[in-house]
This record gives sequence, C-alpha cells and structure tokens, in this order.
Amino acid sequence: MGDSLQIQPAHLGKASIQVKADSNKDVLKILLETDKSAGIATLTGLDMGEKIGLMYHIRTNGAIVTIRTEVPKENPKIPSITDLIPGANFHEREAADLFGVIFEGHPNLARLLLPEDWPENLYPLRKDAKIDDVAVKTENSKNQAETVQPQSDGTLVNIIIGPQHPALLEPEKFSLKVDGEIVKQVEPRIGYVHRGVEKAAEQRTYLQDVYLVERICGICNACHAACFVETVEKILGTTVPLRGQYLRTIILELNRLHSHLLLLGHAGLEIGYETLFQYMWRDREPVLDLTELLTGNRVIASAMTVGGVRRDLKETNIPKIKTALANLKKKMDFYKQLFETEPTLKMRTQNVGTLAKEDALKLCVVGPVARGSGVAMDVRKDEPYEAYGEIPFKLITYNTGDSWARLMVRLDEINESINIINYAIDNMPQGPYRVRVPRVVPAGEAVNRVEAPRGELFYYVKSNGTAYPERVKVRTPTFANIPAFIKIAEGGNIADVPASFVSLDPCFSCTDR
Amino acid sequence: MVLDFWFVFRVLVFPGFTSILFFTMFCDWVERKIEARMQNRVGPKFTGPAGILQPLADFVKLLTKEDIVPRDAKKTVFKFAPILAFSIMVFALSFLPVDGATIIPDSSFAGDLIFVMTLITIANFFLFLSGWASANPYGAIGAARVLTQFLGYDIPLFFLALAPAFLAGSLSISAIAANQYFPFVLLAPWAFVLFIITLQAELEKDPFDVPHAETELVGGLETEYCGGKLAFLHLTRDVQIVFGAALVVELFLGGPYGPVFFGLPVFWYTLWFVLKLLAVVVITEYLTCLFARLRIDQVLAVNWRVLLPLSVLSLTLTVAMTTWIYPLVV
Amino acid sequence: MGKKSAVSPMIKEVLSHLFKKPATSKYPFVKAEVPEGFRGKQVYDINLCISCGLCSRDCPAKAIEMVEVDGKRRPLFHLDLCIFCYQCAESCPRNAIKSSEFFELASINKSDLVVKPQASSQKGNGAQQ
Repeated sequence: MGDSLQIQPAHLGKASIQVKADSNKDVLKILLETDKSAGIATLTGLDMGEKIGLMYHIRTNGAIVTIRTEVPKENPKIPSITDLIPGANFHEREAADLFGVIFEGHPNLARLLLPEDWPENLYPLRKDAKIDDVAVKTENSKNQAETVQPQSDGTLVNIIIGPQHPALLEPEKFSLKVDGEIVKQVEPRIGYVHRGVEKAAEQRTYLQDVYLVERICGICNACHAACFVETVEKILGTTVPLRGQYLRTIILELNRLHSHLLLLGHAGLEIGYETLFQYMWRDREPVLDLTELLTGNRVIASAMTVGGVRRDLKETNIPKIKTALANLKKKMDFYKQLFETEPTLKMRTQNVGTLAKEDALKLCVVGPVARGSGVAMDVRKDEPYEAYGEIPFKLITYNTGDSWARLMVRLDEINESINIINYAIDNMPQGPYRVRVPRVVPAGEAVNRVEAPRGELFYYVKSNGTAYPERVKVRTPTFANIPAFIKIAEGGNIADVPASFVSLDPCFSCTDR
Repeated sequence: MVLDFWFVFRVLVFPGFTSILFFTMFCDWVERKIEARMQNRVGPKFTGPAGILQPLADFVKLLTKEDIVPRDAKKTVFKFAPILAFSIMVFALSFLPVDGATIIPDSSFAGDLIFVMTLITIANFFLFLSGWASANPYGAIGAARVLTQFLGYDIPLFFLALAPAFLAGSLSISAIAANQYFPFVLLAPWAFVLFIITLQAELEKDPFDVPHAETELVGGLETEYCGGKLAFLHLTRDVQIVFGAALVVELFLGGPYGPVFFGLPVFWYTLWFVLKLLAVVVITEYLTCLFARLRIDQVLAVNWRVLLPLSVLSLTLTVAMTTWIYPLVV
Repeated sequence: MGKKSAVSPMIKEVLSHLFKKPATSKYPFVKAEVPEGFRGKQVYDINLCISCGLCSRDCPAKAIEMVEVDGKRRPLFHLDLCIFCYQCAESCPRNAIKSSEFFELASINKSDLVVKPQASSQKGNGAQQ
C-alpha cells in the first residue's frame, strides 16, 4: 500500500484518506473488514482542471469517512466497487453520466440521468462543457430499442410502469419482465425530472442557492435548505445562535409531519383505501396551516438562511400551534389502531415487499426503509445537528422489513415529531435567531447530513473563495433507496408492486435533481 | 303478450327503459353523495340542486368527446360489446317485478331466476370481450381479471340465491317476491349477509375492486375506450349495481310489496321498491368505504376457500330450518 | 383510552361522518383566511427606495428588473417569474418592499403580472397594479 495512501488530517470533523486510483478497492476492503455494516453515502465527482477528482463518502460507525482519488481527464478509468458494496451501483452510473468516468467492472454502465439522445461526449458537470446550445439529435440515441413497442421475450411479458402511470406521482420508467404473475426482472430508468440543479447551483450566489436547492423537492424543501446552509456554515465556521437552531428544528419537524401524513394517505390510495386517503389528507391540513403561520407559505418554507432563520416565532402564535398539535395527536391514536387492526390493510401490506436486514445494509438504504428492516440508522441520533442533541426522542425501528413495518415506522415518527415540536416550543431559548455572514465564502469544503423524512440527505459543498460555489453535490434519500425497490420487486407478485413501491416513499424530483 | 300501447309504454317509458336509465343515474348520484359524506367530503354539488344532475352531465360530456378505435383492436367486438353488455343487463332487469308486475308484462315464468342470472353472466362476458378486444396489455389483464372474478363468484351467488327460492318454493322471481310472508332476510339472515358480500364481488366494489384498480392497471378493461362507448361502459356498471340491489330486494326484502295506504297500489309498490333499493345501495357503499382493495389472488382465495363452502352450508342450513324448524314456529 | 379493541375503528368512524359537516372549505364562496406574515403580492413604496438595485441582484429567480422612472432606477416585479421568497425585502436596506395578503394572482393577461413602480405610495391589499 505504502505510497499510494496518505491519510489527511481530519477536516471539519470528517476523516479523509487520499489514495491512488487503482487502490481504492484495497482501502475499501480494509474499511469493510473493520465495520461490516459500512455503506456508501455517495460518490462525488469534481472537475479539478486536468484531473477528475472522485470522493467516496463512506458511512461507517455513524460518521462519514471520505476516500479521495483522482483520474486523469484523458483516460478516466477506475475499478468499480460494486462487487464490494452493491449499493454503489447508481452512484457510479451517475458519475459516469455526468463526468465521463469509466468504472471498470460495473455490471451496467448505461445512462442514468441524461436522456438517451444527449450527445455522446458531452459531460455537463465538467467545467469546460458547453451546454448552452445542445442540439438534441436522434442519431445520438444509443438505445433505440427502448422506444419501440415492448415485446414478449419467450414466456416473459414486458410490462412498463411509467413514465405516466396512475401509481406514480412523478414520472420514472420501470420495465418489469413478468412471468404470469411473478416479476422476474426490474429495470428502472430515472432522469425524467432531471433539471441540472447541481450545475445551476454553480452559477448562482450562495444566497440564491438556498432558494434553488429548496426547490429540488417540494415535500422535503426545508431539509434541503437546512442541509445546504449548514454545510456553508461549516465552511464559514459560523455557529447559529441557539434560538435559531430551535426554530430550525421546529420547521424541520413540521416538514416531517407533512411528509409522513402525505405518504400514509398516498399509501392508502395505492392499495385502494380511498377513505384512509381522504381522512389523512384532511388531517394534514392543520400542519400546512401551521407552516403558513410560521413561515408565510403552506409548503415551501423559505425560512432558512446562512446564519440562522429568517423569521422569529411570535409568542401569540404558540397557543394555536399547541392546539393543532394536540388535535393531531388524538387523531394519530385512531390511525395507529386502524393500521394494527384493519384486516384488508394488513392483508395488503404485511409480508409484502420484505427487505431483509442484510440486504438493507448491502444496498446502503436509508431512512424509514432501513429502519423498517431493523437497521438503527438516524442522522438525528448518529450525528446530532441543530437542537436534536438536546431534545429527547425515540429512534423507531421495526424488525419485520415488510411494507407494513415501513408504514408503521413513519406513523410512530409522527408521534415523535409532535413531541419534539412541543418540547422545542416549551424550552425555546431567548436571544437572537440569526447572525450576519459575509457574502464571499473563503475557500474550503464541507460535507453535511440531515435526516429528511425519506432518509439521510447528504450535501457536499466546495467553495473557491468567490461568491459562487465551486461544486454542490446533493445525494437524496430516494436515490439511495431505488435499488432496494429492485430487490423487493423481483420474485414477488406483480399485484404487490404498488403497495411495496409506495412504502419506499419515492420522491423522484429529489432523485433526479 | 299483446303489443298495444300499454305494452310499449311499460317497456319503454315507465317502469321500462327510460325510467331505468334515469333511475340508474339517480342511484349513481346517491352512491357518490353517500361515499363523499362518509369520507367527510361534499360530493357533487353544483350541477342541478345538490348535484343531482351530475351523472347526466358526465354522460352527456362523454358523448361529446372524440370516439377513437385503436388500429389493432378487433373493431366489431370493440364497438358493439359495451352496447350489448348494457342491453343484456337492462333486459335482465325487465324480468324483475318492480311495481307489482314485471316490466315486460306477464313475462315471469318458473325458473326465471336462473335465466336472469345467466343473462348477467353473459353480460359480464361481453364486458370481458370489450377489454380483450382492445389491443392493450392493461385492457387484456383487466378483462382477464373481470372474467376470473365474476365466473368465480357466480357459483356462491347462485347457491345463496337458492335459499330464498327454497323458502318460497319456487324458482320464479315474481313468485319469490310475492310469497314473502316474512321477509326472507329474517328467515335466512345468514344467506342475506353472505349474499351482500358476494354481491360486493360481483359488482366489483371494494374490497373486491381489482378490475378497476387504477393504480395497477391504469384503466382496466376501460383503458382504450373513450367517448360514447365509455359512456356505455360506465352505464353498464351502474345498471349492474342497480340490478344487484334489485335482486337483493326481490329475494330477501319482500320485493316491491309493502303496506298500501291510499290510492293506487302501483305508486306504493314503486315507492317501496325504490326505498328498499336505496337502502341496499347505501349498505354496499358503506362496505366499500370501509375496506381497502384486496389482491387478485386474495380475492380468489376468499371466493373458493371461504364463500363457496359457506354458501353450500347456508343452503343446507336453510333447507334444514325450513323442513324441521319453521313449520313448528311459523 | 382503556383497552384496545381488536376491531377496526373505521366501522364507527365512517358511519359517524354521515352526520358531521364536510371538512371542505367552500372557497371561493367563502373567503380564505391567511395569517399575518403571509407571502403574497409585493407592495412597493417608492418613497423609501434609494435605487441601490440590491433587490434585483439578489433575486434568485431574476424576477426584478431595474427600469427608469422619472430619471431614477426603480424595480419592476415580474410576478410570473417570482417565487415569493422575499429575499428582495430582506436585502432592501430601507424596507421599501413589503408583503401583502393578496394571493389571487391568476390571470389570462400577462400584463396583469407585473408590479410597476408607481409614483405614489401604495398601501392596502394591492388589488390594483
């Protein structure tokens, strides 16, 4: 190993290792031997002039270790790590698509985010890529077969779910090869909602980027904004005053309440339980009204800024918040009893779409999908941020790993969120809620994680001393969870596909950015 | 059967085809309003007073849309299957005594219970054909599911319908309706409960909603239909619900017969029939709101493993009760 | 709460809703209440403006255009681009931009969707341009 490995001093609380390109797998093997449940958080690509930097962010023991390597631009080849960590599949495909890195040994290096007819050698996230005037030519299309009417392959019938389908909220394509009623193979194609947010973030100032990343996803908007501003604050070295941290916690938990209530209603719709859908969404309305009271808008909060929050909580609003939360808590008793006793609901979700704990660890899934399979992983407990270190709450896990467990995890998390908000309001410290920060951020880089409703949200920001960021990398939780869907669906009933799919809580705007 | 003015009036106007059409739309409105209120919503509100013209508005809207036949579909079957399904369903409905006599006058005969149920099966078969004739995998799967479901559930339905037939001693619906000294729901409540459950499956409502599962099958057998043909498919489904409820009313609830207070019996019989039918519609809608949708294999498991044995048991029980217990008590 | 029963609570709940009022709010026949601090249409006070242009520079959606009015540069708000984040209000050193509670902005006419800098100060719900 010798000279191919250099351990760099711990940077901003995260350990970082510099290796030569072809020894990335050796380092990973050593890491995996020390911690069997290590998983990849993401793979960040970085245009460094003549080289392309690749950073493997590995999640181990509740912290992030970064393994850095570089490949030259003219010959960007590097061994793939999918045989060690199967969950790295999508991350490597994304780097191949957007940076042009070739991963040797990868099972399927097809396009992930860019459309089929994107020009061949144009890699958008490289600094020298000219993407203002891309002529979409159909002769660029590598994979013509996908646009032709699906044909049967022997006894296998090709059923395509999406891009437009009533089961999906947002467009993605899943090609299922079905034998009778059993699904044999699933091939996802994502990228229909790809808007190039990471590239757009490089062309706007940090202040404008807060609003840009907020719009990556409507439902977890506060989490994206919070993660981004926390990362920038790490580079700047500012500490947000305590009152600002508590206010951020309240807004993040309100976001979580909204998202979980929405998903449980949507789950009802997918399994044909319209009454549950109507009731849940009726009970979601007070949460939206509370968000409007606190931030000025029902869904997109726009409440975070670098250095704190933009608005304070008025004393006169507190009774309204407490009443609404108390009403919601009473309703949650009804829903909990419903989920535990209703026979048709249990028939549709129990023992359906089971994900075993070992598979959950190998595929590096995050959020309620992991917690429903017994993996005790929650960024709020592993690396407390904002006020979570001071607020007591339970980490919810269920062991069965089926769709019912994943839905119950979210249901219990709703109760925990209500408790967190009540505690935060009762123990809110006095003082300022915001500090002024300079517009120009000094050179540096930082990583940050936040527990979004769907799982761990990961941001990497690198600044080069100007008012514009050099690189913003976003890894959203659904991006890490889609390989789990492939594992769940294969071998199961086609009629179980909607029920198990919705229990993953897919958010495709997040996935594609 | 003499073809005179009254015959034509009965068959075409009241209580015949036109009345059935408008009554079906009325039942559709009742269904939607009840479902909405149970789900804490408002339901149709703005078309006509309290939204009562909404089903008519939907029907007219569909008639004004462009009517497309897919290139690869089997054209004749595609065009005529929905209309045939609707017509056969209405024809089956005409054998039921609605206002004290069957809609087509003097048409009841011994064994018309079996005849009517066969007609329903044929109508459902035409629905299957309409899905199969559209060149679409979703349509084909939806049609296959309709076929498996109604063929499977026809058997327990038939066994359960035999219980009131046995109680009345006749296989003619008019005779069963007329001979209910006590409504058969009291004499054979087990058959009534099982019949309602089987009816949920026949009418394709939750929890047996599989053929209409949009989240899995997009549109089921209706996927490729639009315009007037889709209007007929929707109408067929609504007439199916009316027919199912009417069958329950005839077999278990005493048909149109009830106390006559003053004036023409025809008016009172129609009124009782309508009220009893609406009660059955409300019950089935309540069951729909209560449950989620089961998977197709779970639906079939419920049929073959639960309902079929229970329906045979119910028939045995009815026969036993009638032969030995009821003559002592009644 | 007492002991938990093994029967689905939906049975009673669904029936009880037949006798309750619907949860639907009858907008637009009933006015929709918005809380204080709601981010609606912008209200711009020309008397406080110092023409610094910070609002236009900081706008994430590039929805503010500086135009010449009476020889001075004033902001023009393009509401069809605006995302109502109110970063402009925060960046303004003189608090010349404020929010209002008016949100019924849909229109079939693009010219309704601009807030032009007027010569007189405007207060109120901003219902007129």
